[in-house]
Amino acid sequence: MITVENLTFSYQKQKQTLHGLTFSVADGEIFGFLGPNGSGKSTTQKILTGILRGYGGSTCLFGEPLENQQKNFQEKIGVLFEFPYLYTNLSAIDNLNYFASFYPSERRRDVNELLTMLEFKKDFINKPVSSYSKGMRQRVSMARALLNSPELLFLDEPTSGLDPQGAVLFRNIIEEERKKGTTVFLTTHNMTDADLLCDRVAFIADGEIKAIDTPKKLKEKNSNHQVEIETLYQGKRRLTIIETPELKAGIPFPYDEIISIHSKEPTLEDMFIQYTGRGLA
Amino acid sequence: MRRGFLSLLKKDFKLMLSSKFLLLALGSLILYSCYINFIYVGIEQDIYPVFLYDPLHTQGAVSSEITEVESLEELKKESEDGYAVGIDASSGTPEIIMVSSSIHSTDRYRAAYALSLLSTANPTTAEVIGTDNKEMKSRREITCEFLFFELAAVGFLGLASMLFKEKQMGIIRVHGVLPVSKSAFILSKLCLFLLSDLVFSALLTVINLGVSEGLAVLPYVLLQAGILSLLMALVGFFCAVLLPNFKQFSLLYLVLAVFITTPVFLAGQTGIAWEWIKYHPVYHLFMAMKNAYWGVSFANGIYYTICGLTIVLLFLLVRRVLIREMAKEG
Repeated sequence: MITVENLTFSYQKQKQTLHGLTFSVADGEIFGFLGPNGSGKSTTQKILTGILRGYGGSTCLFGEPLENQQKNFQEKIGVLFEFPYLYTNLSAIDNLNYFASFYPSERRRDVNELLTMLEFKKDFINKPVSSYSKGMRQRVSMARALLNSPELLFLDEPTSGLDPQGAVLFRNIIEEERKKGTTVFLTTHNMTDADLLCDRVAFIADGEIKAIDTPKKLKEKNSNHQVEIETLYQGKRRLTIIETPELKAGIPFPYDEIISIHSKEPTLEDMFIQYTGRGLA
Repeated sequence: MRRGFLSLLKKDFKLMLSSKFLLLALGSLILYSCYINFIYVGIEQDIYPVFLYDPLHTQGAVSSEITEVESLEELKKESEDGYAVGIDASSGTPEIIMVSSSIHSTDRYRAAYALSLLSTANPTTAEVIGTDNKEMKSRREITCEFLFFELAAVGFLGLASMLFKEKQMGIIRVHGVLPVSKSAFILSKLCLFLLSDLVFSALLTVINLGVSEGLAVLPYVLLQAGILSLLMALVGFFCAVLLPNFKQFSLLYLVLAVFITTPVFLAGQTGIAWEWIKYHPVYHLFMAMKNAYWGVSFANGIYYTICGLTIVLLFLLVRRVLIREMAKEG
């Protein structure tokens, strides 16, 4: 679906933002693009959505170089921006009907159905967006991104501004879209989203891809294969770290009661810090 | 293309309504028309009031437009305001007393006019050509000025305020990923403001010049109004996209109003003559509008070519800054 080779970009002549990115995204894949602010995530997304020109290297989408894309390219993609950009004087329905009007009727999804799927409060459906909470605006924005049944969906921080319930709903919807065959390019800070949703993730920092693989493999590669066991022995709590193979023969020390057993496997965030030398803030 | 353009047009019209732009235009139309019909055409002012001090009655048959005074002190007092002209004939020979207007040619006109009133002999009667009377002349002049001001300033602000609203909402960026051309995004706004400016021009002209006189000059007026409207809307669009906030835009607007429009009005409507004014582009637009109000076709090929090229150039510039705005960080 997406093939990027040696992608470079500079906003100013002196300062290069992207330093030769190379990656590919398969059809129907959820691909996570993880990086701190200013790492080049948004620039990459803008290039892939056709907003930003003047880049170096080659970029192919739908099997065609980006620069040769026909006008219907934008009919095939859906974009959720980091912020919920909507007409605040119009209602959710008016906003969605306006954006839907740009797409051919065979691609358009039913606006009411979309809002129901996104659990949008019915009382607000005809009220102006200016009266909505951030979560409600994010729901309308997600509906806008899905309006044209996109084959390729770009999502920038999709769960930002949502409560935990909303975040779970969004993750389910993204998963549902993928089941229909939609490819998802997910740009995020949120490691839970990336870990739960993505087939593969790329770590980007300072305009370079530092690592690219499945979240599981990234964690496995760097795992120290240790287990942390908390036990109670003779009335005292004890925390012991042992090598995983040692567990084959059972717990190799005396105890009266096991309180908890945790894998010492690194998190995706640990991996990000290890590969990029910095956190995601 | 057509489907997208109609959607943009509908949305822009809703934005226009919500920004109360049409209400503002209607308010201006009522205000201008009331001022023209109830105040401006009723103003009767002597150009230069003339006072005479002639204790020895050496001046025989003086014009009835001269006011005689009793003393030299009174004559000096009446001539203090920079418009009035005093004639001291106490020595037998008329001498002019007046405060200079600082414009040599104007002072000479004032003095010559005052001296011409000392005799009623050989009155000059001007031959009236055409159907214009003084009131119609005043109506044409002031309607032209108001229309020029409205199109140059208010239309410019109207489009910019709509665009700033869209910028604030971040919605311009969304249009970068929609299957709609950037040109359509610009054209829909231009069409809407052009249409509203043309309707405003037609109403202002017909209401204040009368139906028959108004309709006679309307084709010329609408042509010039269309050119000015497109130019100002594009300049407003360009500045609104380029400048980060409305405060900076307002400052720029003030600079435009003071340093660009004011000299044009002065040169176009008063006797002030500046050699450099012919290089001022807005002056030519104003003079073309003025000609239009006298039903004179401004049939100058160079003028229309330059206007056309400027509109195309501004359109391309606007498209460029719009694409840049769409690619900006959130």
